[in-house]
Amino acid sequence: MSDPALGLTMLGLIVVVIMMGFPTAFTLMGLGMFFGFYAYYNPAEAWSDNKIFDLMVQRTYGAMTNDVLISIPLFVLMGYVMERGALVDKMFYAIQLSFRRVPASLAVASLIVCTFWGIASGLVGAVVVLMGVIAFNPMLRAGYDVKLAAGVITAGGTLGILIPPSVMIIVYAAVAGQSVVKLYAAAMFPGFFLAFLYLVYVVGWALLNPRIAPPLPPEQNRVPVPAWMRSFQAAYSPNMFAGLLKALTSPGKAQAIEGEEGRISYRQILRHLGYALVPLALTTGTFALIWWYVVIYQTRRADDSAPEGLEQLGAPPSAAPSAAADIGPATSFYVVFGVLAALAALMLVRYYRRMDADRLVVVKLLTASVMPLGILTFIVLAVILFGITTATESAAVGAAGAFLLAFYARTLNWKRTKEAVFLTAKTTSMVCWLFVGSALFSGVFALLGGQALVEQWVLSMNLSPVQFMILSQAIIFVLGWPLEWTEIIIIFVPIFLPLLKHFGIDPILWGVLVFVNLQAAFLSPPVAMSAFYLKGVSPSHVTINQIFAGMMPYMLIVIVCMIFLYIWPGLTLWLPQYLYGG
Amino acid sequence: MTVQRFLHAVDAVSTWVGKAAAWLIIGLMLLVCVEVFKRYMLNMPTAWIFDASNMFYGTLFMLAGAYTLAQNAHVRGDFLYSSMRPRTQAGLDLVLYIVFFLPGIAALVYAGTDYAALSWRINEHSTTTADGPPIYHFKTVIPIAGALILLQGLAEIVRAVVCLRTGEWPSRLKDVAEMDVVEEQLADSDTIDEADRKAAIERAQKIDETARQRGMGGDLQT
Repeated sequence: MSDPALGLTMLGLIVVVIMMGFPTAFTLMGLGMFFGFYAYYNPAEAWSDNKIFDLMVQRTYGAMTNDVLISIPLFVLMGYVMERGALVDKMFYAIQLSFRRVPASLAVASLIVCTFWGIASGLVGAVVVLMGVIAFNPMLRAGYDVKLAAGVITAGGTLGILIPPSVMIIVYAAVAGQSVVKLYAAAMFPGFFLAFLYLVYVVGWALLNPRIAPPLPPEQNRVPVPAWMRSFQAAYSPNMFAGLLKALTSPGKAQAIEGEEGRISYRQILRHLGYALVPLALTTGTFALIWWYVVIYQTRRADDSAPEGLEQLGAPPSAAPSAAADIGPATSFYVVFGVLAALAALMLVRYYRRMDADRLVVVKLLTASVMPLGILTFIVLAVILFGITTATESAAVGAAGAFLLAFYARTLNWKRTKEAVFLTAKTTSMVCWLFVGSALFSGVFALLGGQALVEQWVLSMNLSPVQFMILSQAIIFVLGWPLEWTEIIIIFVPIFLPLLKHFGIDPILWGVLVFVNLQAAFLSPPVAMSAFYLKGVSPSHVTINQIFAGMMPYMLIVIVCMIFLYIWPGLTLWLPQYLYGG
Repeated sequence: MTVQRFLHAVDAVSTWVGKAAAWLIIGLMLLVCVEVFKRYMLNMPTAWIFDASNMFYGTLFMLAGAYTLAQNAHVRGDFLYSSMRPRTQAGLDLVLYIVFFLPGIAALVYAGTDYAALSWRINEHSTTTADGPPIYHFKTVIPIAGALILLQGLAEIVRAVVCLRTGEWPSRLKDVAEMDVVEEQLADSDTIDEADRKAAIERAQKIDETARQRGMGGDLQT
């Protein structure tokens, strides 16, 4: 048998053996070792001097010193700590209350919690089971359509592997030799865009056909307003915000009110005013950050890069002043920023004018349950995306921050810390050993010429880039049925990567499409695991077929999302290009 | 039962080493955090941090390999596998451990020993930075991790043989699992229905198992 044919045999064998259920990392090592031994075989030297042994140990050491993979344990640790530290049921309760007037409020809240939770953790199984208990049964009890309820949770549960900071993206970056930071920036909009499409679908369906998502009975939607707040409103003003401000200057009436823990103190007034100010602070913070990055930070950076008095050799000395004028952002930015800021200000004014006790309690609940996790992920992502630190550094800071938050919220004890650490070790070891095996395997595959044969074969088909795109995504979609994402990204994606250049496809765009694609693969009956996780916690009258039927529309939405991403590559590529340049 | 004791003894060794190595992640986290503080706040970067963090990370995942194997947590294409009978699973495993695992890992130990020995002989230092830290002990991790995982692999082979004879997989040491988070999240919740909560906590592990089999092995065929 010729060498390239042997390479293809190797590829075929690996698929067969993976299907037999043997741990994939060792299958790759074993196969790589045998085929490599044959490829390097030289009758003149002793068998123990075969170069395959050098290749093997060098590939292993390469994985041990890989500067991309090193951020995996840190992000995984952050995820596990957050997952144990944040309270998902409180989060769901608060979000559901704040969306109580939206159609299909429970479904919307489930999606938002899933998206949010997905930022923290990348585990499909645990998310679906948890959300199944927290949201699925209440939805069924409220009379929601089984298919709607099932679809929201299974689709939302798989979002976690797509939305940054996700481990899948780091592994792809390591495999494809791309920058983690750029991939994070690229996956940012598509991830939230997909979640947004899901939301539009749910709300749209509920608007068209209100029977599938009846509103909750009023007693379940009532915001638990404490009694003192009512008397407070009576004493000052029905508007809590105005009332709290007044109470700041004349606390006498407030201090006469009996609260749950005795009289209302001045500190309590201050604290509630703080809660009331959270929406304002968030909005101004966001706008200030954008302003800082676009106007101040970038201009300063541009100034730094061209120090004064340093003239380019042979450059006309008059060129410098004209360049300085171009540094600031375009006028259109100021216009858009101004309009957005005005809109936000308008909404805030409207919001604060109607700040009744209900609203204050909801803000308080949201702040307590969502904010810590939100602030941490926001900081981690912002620090990575703005290119302030590397992915590894921000992962480490994020993990430390997760610990601090969990200690602060008193949700982390010694047992949970240990669990998070051990789970991190297991997950990291699983991914990285797979990487060791695959590094050897792909080395031998290329050595035998299998890679060249695949390339030749694909090129001989004379595909257009669109056809190649569809073909490659279809193959990955089918592979996503029986395999986990780790195996797909580490073993099969590298086969396509060298071909991308030939077809002029950006590996970042292609990678993001793969991430989105795997969402669809994980939602396709009859192999989708999330459906079975949900079945495990649902009441017995829900059949697996109902769950599958509920998932189908979301699968179509994912495919629609992929088409959008392909037609408008800007959705993916704009952010990395804007932040880091071409 | 002596075989079972042997299996648990090997599991215990792998688990102990793996869990000890797992704590390196805390070290790595603190190391990088301190470096971030020093570099960005005090403007005094440290040259050897890059090598040191590699050592933490590399040692962590290599030494946890045997622990992961002992907990059956290495990713496997369990789509068909998990719906087979235990005897069939054990037969497949036995053959594949002998055909792929043993030669592959033995080669890793052999090659790793040479690699580390050479590194010790030449007193190798990292070349990432000028005057880098020594790396021969880091390279020694490869044969050690290989030997541990080989030992655990032998235990797995014994497991497969036992299973072939008795028709049942021998037990593993109990360890933390990803689904444990369900219990932790739901245990003290006051917004969720009591009965739902209890049922989910009780069945979490079972649900995980059944879902991995995609309903083919269990009671989900409704």
